[in-house]
Amino acid sequence: MNTHSTILLLFLSLAFIIAVVFITVYRSSKRKEETGGMINVNKKRLTFLLVLASLAIILLSVTLPDSPYYLYANETPSKVVFVGAQQFNFNMAYQAIDPKKPITEAIELPANKMVEFRVTSFDVNHDFAIYNDKAELIAQTQAMPGYVNMLRWKFYKPGTYNILCLEFCGVAHAVMRASFTVN
Amino acid sequence: MNNILKLKKITSAWILAILLLFVLAISFGITMRFNQANDIKLSPVTFYSLMTTHGVTMVGIWVVAGMMAVNYLLSRYVKVSNGLNLFAMALTVIGVVMLWLTTFVGHYHTGWTFLYPLPFYTAWEKWATPVFLLSLGVLGIGWFVWSVGMLWQILKRYSLPQAFAWQHFKKGHTVETPPFILITTVTLVGVIACLLTAVLLLILYFAEYFSKGTFTNDALLMKNLTYFFGHTIINEALYLGVATLYELLPEVSGRPKFKMTWYVAVAWNCTLLFVLTAFFHHLYMDFAQPQSFQIIGQVASYFASLPSASVTAFSVIVLIYKNPVKWSLTNLLFVVGVAGWLIGGIGAVIDATISNNFVLHNTLWVPAHFHTYNAMGNVLFSLAFFNWAAKDFQGIASPLRYDKTKIFWLMVGGFGFVLMFYIGGAYSIPRRYAEYPNEFTNAKLLASAGAWFAIIYLWAIIVILFNIVMKCIKMFSVSE
Repeated sequence: MNTHSTILLLFLSLAFIIAVVFITVYRSSKRKEETGGMINVNKKRLTFLLVLASLAIILLSVTLPDSPYYLYANETPSKVVFVGAQQFNFNMAYQAIDPKKPITEAIELPANKMVEFRVTSFDVNHDFAIYNDKAELIAQTQAMPGYVNMLRWKFYKPGTYNILCLEFCGVAHAVMRASFTVN
Repeated sequence: MNNILKLKKITSAWILAILLLFVLAISFGITMRFNQANDIKLSPVTFYSLMTTHGVTMVGIWVVAGMMAVNYLLSRYVKVSNGLNLFAMALTVIGVVMLWLTTFVGHYHTGWTFLYPLPFYTAWEKWATPVFLLSLGVLGIGWFVWSVGMLWQILKRYSLPQAFAWQHFKKGHTVETPPFILITTVTLVGVIACLLTAVLLLILYFAEYFSKGTFTNDALLMKNLTYFFGHTIINEALYLGVATLYELLPEVSGRPKFKMTWYVAVAWNCTLLFVLTAFFHHLYMDFAQPQSFQIIGQVASYFASLPSASVTAFSVIVLIYKNPVKWSLTNLLFVVGVAGWLIGGIGAVIDATISNNFVLHNTLWVPAHFHTYNAMGNVLFSLAFFNWAAKDFQGIASPLRYDKTKIFWLMVGGFGFVLMFYIGGAYSIPRRYAEYPNEFTNAKLLASAGAWFAIIYLWAIIVILFNIVMKCIKMFSVSE
């Protein structure tokens, strides 16, 4: 099961629990006579809030170290790819790209080795999103004018990877794309 | 005409205007989903102009829906100004007309987030950019003055610590702050903060616009300001709806009023503190942003929503569980709205986790969660208020026939509609695409199914609205 399916399953499970709780509570209210409602409310409330707060703290401590900013932070990239996004294409090259004379090269990257993408934009905001051959989004960073976002990644599977723009950038946003190969 | 009657008439006018715009904006959304499904064919310019109109209109109407509801209920505690209410309405009408002119006549299409510098890369009529920005200024001025007016009236009756319910942190206090006053105060402070930020944003835009190339803004700063404004305003709109729930749900259910307690005070003070920094989660994929801001973003996203949502949900459950509740359309809408808020909140917290956002950012997961807590949360809070207010205007209840059936179809349509977005997000389908690339094999089917579910939702909404609209129209012929 990939990350996306796990996330969807987690979400649907939690949504189902909420639905069951609310339906149960609603059905319990149909009694005409006063039955006294929930008992030990204060104790249950405190337990509920403490469990949620603990869960939030555990989730924060588990997920924050997995943030993409720390990926392969102590490694040296085997290749660096410069990306200059502009309406409506991605310029990619092995050397820095002059925005006044943008160039683009066919990009081939090694499998199982860390590569670094240095992503910027020559006009508006774009998003450099990498999709595998199953059309699954595996990594991304924004392309912003005046800033360079550095994305480090390792591709384990050889093949063709597509780049799509995921930040609305104008009328041809949906057809702004590029690709590279991993050998 | 006495002040109360005048307030009822103004509120009726707000409700009618909001509902008209709501039905139109839903129709734009359905049209967009059918276009994504390839069932109809729009030009990309038309699609993105509709997308911009849909987004700005929806945000705007649910902000003012919350504001006018809070304004109406606030009159139970403090004196409210009908003049400011009318002033805000006049500027809202002018602002909306200007906005729709830019999108429908000027073909302006930056999306409602209008990320800098896209508004300056004009692929539309040149006049549309300054008019769009001006229209935001017109709306902002009306809402700012109105918010300050309401907050001023609260602070004339309650001291600042009392308005924030700080006395409830210790025993032996003599003044009780109603939960409605606390939530309204917290929310109005947030609204004022984000509207002030919007003013700064507009000043920076116009500084560059009139500088003729001698002054350029910083894209990262502008993005931070944009999302501080945009994220905060839509969250505060939701909290305005929650304020009405605290005031009305026990009353219409025949249950005792919610009382202020230390945990309610803590929860909403947490929201006040954290909601102002949660917007950083919109910039997780901007790796150039300082990492400390990114971490603050995730922590604040968890602690802005979790305490207030969990305390509210628990209080609502205690109110209902094994208790004799007088069910009506109003409290059914409120309770389904709480469930929708929680389900959408879970989707939002998943997306606000940086490691998940890496593979969800700007996919359909984003419209999935915000449509859940808006269309199935905040909208239902406002509809509940409209239904209650329509009855309050004339003192007569609508016949309760078929209410459960209406709610059932509203849930089928609403949750079905957002489920198609969630599945799309899990399939990595991008958001804001006029048409989908071929590799997303399920995208068109999901879009089509989403559109049909939205039609069911719209139909249920229209059926629910009928009685409300009729009572609001009748309100104009009422004299003293």
